[in-house]
Amino acid sequence: MSTAVATPTTTPAVAAPKGKLSFPHLLRSEWIKFWSVRSTIWTLGIFLFATISLVVLISLAFVNAPSEAEGGPPASQAADALGPFAVAVTLAQLALAVLGALTITSEYTTGMIRSSLTAVPKRLPVLWSKAIVLMVSVLFAAVVALAVSAVLQALFFDSKDFSIDWSDAQTLRALGGTALYLATIALFAFALGALLRHSAAAVATVLGLLLVAPILFSAIPWKPLTYMFPFLPGVAGQQVTQTDAQLADAAASSPIGADLSAWQGYGVLLLWIVLTLTAASVLLKKRDA
Amino acid sequence: MIEAQGLTKRYGPKTAVDGITFTVQPGRVTGFLGPNGAGKSTTMRMIMGLDRPSGGSVVVNGKPYAQHHSPLTEVGALLEAKAVHTGRSARNHLRAIAATHGIGDKRVNEVIEMTGLDAVAKRRVGGFSLGMGQRLGIAAALVGDPRTLILDEPVNGLDPEGVLWVRNLVRYLASEGRTVFLSSHLMSEMAVTADHLLVIGRGKIIADGPTATVIAQATEETVRVVSPQATDLAALLQGPGVSVTSDEPGVLVVSGATSIQVGELAASNRVVLHELTPVSGSLEEAYMSLTQDSVEYHSSEVPAELTQEGSR
Repeated sequence: MSTAVATPTTTPAVAAPKGKLSFPHLLRSEWIKFWSVRSTIWTLGIFLFATISLVVLISLAFVNAPSEAEGGPPASQAADALGPFAVAVTLAQLALAVLGALTITSEYTTGMIRSSLTAVPKRLPVLWSKAIVLMVSVLFAAVVALAVSAVLQALFFDSKDFSIDWSDAQTLRALGGTALYLATIALFAFALGALLRHSAAAVATVLGLLLVAPILFSAIPWKPLTYMFPFLPGVAGQQVTQTDAQLADAAASSPIGADLSAWQGYGVLLLWIVLTLTAASVLLKKRDA
Repeated sequence: MIEAQGLTKRYGPKTAVDGITFTVQPGRVTGFLGPNGAGKSTTMRMIMGLDRPSGGSVVVNGKPYAQHHSPLTEVGALLEAKAVHTGRSARNHLRAIAATHGIGDKRVNEVIEMTGLDAVAKRRVGGFSLGMGQRLGIAAALVGDPRTLILDEPVNGLDPEGVLWVRNLVRYLASEGRTVFLSSHLMSEMAVTADHLLVIGRGKIIADGPTATVIAQATEETVRVVSPQATDLAALLQGPGVSVTSDEPGVLVVSGATSIQVGELAASNRVVLHELTPVSGSLEEAYMSLTQDSVEYHSSEVPAELTQEGSR
């Protein structure tokens, strides 16, 4: 019946480059995807603008705050130059959380994920390469934002002795920790996005955990919540953005609950990510796309 | 070459694909024909590893799709035109897909030109018409220059010029020795595009053979006879394997006998004939008769001429 078609597959006449699927190629693909949508430019733009302007404005407010003699806070609690960074980051991180979640959920909401999984049928490498591209890009953006902020702060307020002390190892660790924390928060939002596969759900969950949960946990006078408070992802992760002296002060003022060190806190945030990503990857592997 | 063996997909209690076995050969266009909900898309998604089979297996070029080292150069697929990020330009979409296999911009530009997307390549996909989206999907399927091509309803939303373009393209690709597997719910389109037909209904393969054969088997040849002695002739024609119906006085529709047989019978019995016409059934009728027992979503009213001929 089909003798005429039994001819073996000959090499196609069109001479096209024969490609091969590999992880470096996949990183390149995800890099193109990441930078070719407007949401990346918007969220990173907002993040840069918010961080830099907030650091400068809050520094201005701190410099002009009344001294102890004028009825201001006691000198021991007066903010150092790192103070404005902590406040700015708490707000600016939200833009990065949105970016992290959208990096994966936008593929689900548009159906792009099926094209991605067709090109990479083993599936999981898509998740890893996206995570790497996101982490690297956000880390770079965070370093730029913090560096520009620190330079501007020094430019405007160095005369008032309110600028980053680059010779202090603790300050540098806190600042480096801030950049790392920001990239890690983006990764946490990404992990939640991969698990929930829905933009609104992922953004709402990550904002709830970062913003609402700490307020609720500290406002409700119920002991288990007080004990759990230090282990919230945002609370634990932000330990690494502070100097050991600041952490010791904070530990002294909270009578109950665990006092996590900088890297213990960061480890707790990483644990949140590992658990979320593990669940997401199991589901990605098992579910129909 | 695509080989499916007992391929099954169940969603809860509902069986979408029911243990189908088939082979799609290289070097020809194989049409996958069936009504909506028959299991065409599910089957194609299982071939591409997007849906996991509940039972059975399917291999492409000898291996499950996911086990190929270079999937996009083995198989190119258009499963749904809108599997695209709406905020990205067509060109960047193709660049991102090509990049996974280290395929450069040269090939991307080639497929953009080949699919006639030059003018809109830099525009964001969100504003594309169904037809342009379909062309972008075909471009994405071709970017790896694959040995096997799987297209789900590729002419959906295309204008006549686009339909003709797809037809010529798939025939050309098959002539190069590639495997081409495309689905449609339009019999007329399949009849002019496909060399081989695989008809599916309710998750089961109903017919598998060369297009002409499948159509011939499904199409009933009838003979229209007009005679003043219609009643006498009808009585003479009645016999095993022959059925005669009459919609209006003096007009007979004979099935199971050729016009030659009817004419000779009339002559030997001195019956006057005013008209003797062989009538071959339409493609639509053939399709309906093939799939009428397996249509998932019936219209509430079924035209009369389709219900009375149950024999096959």
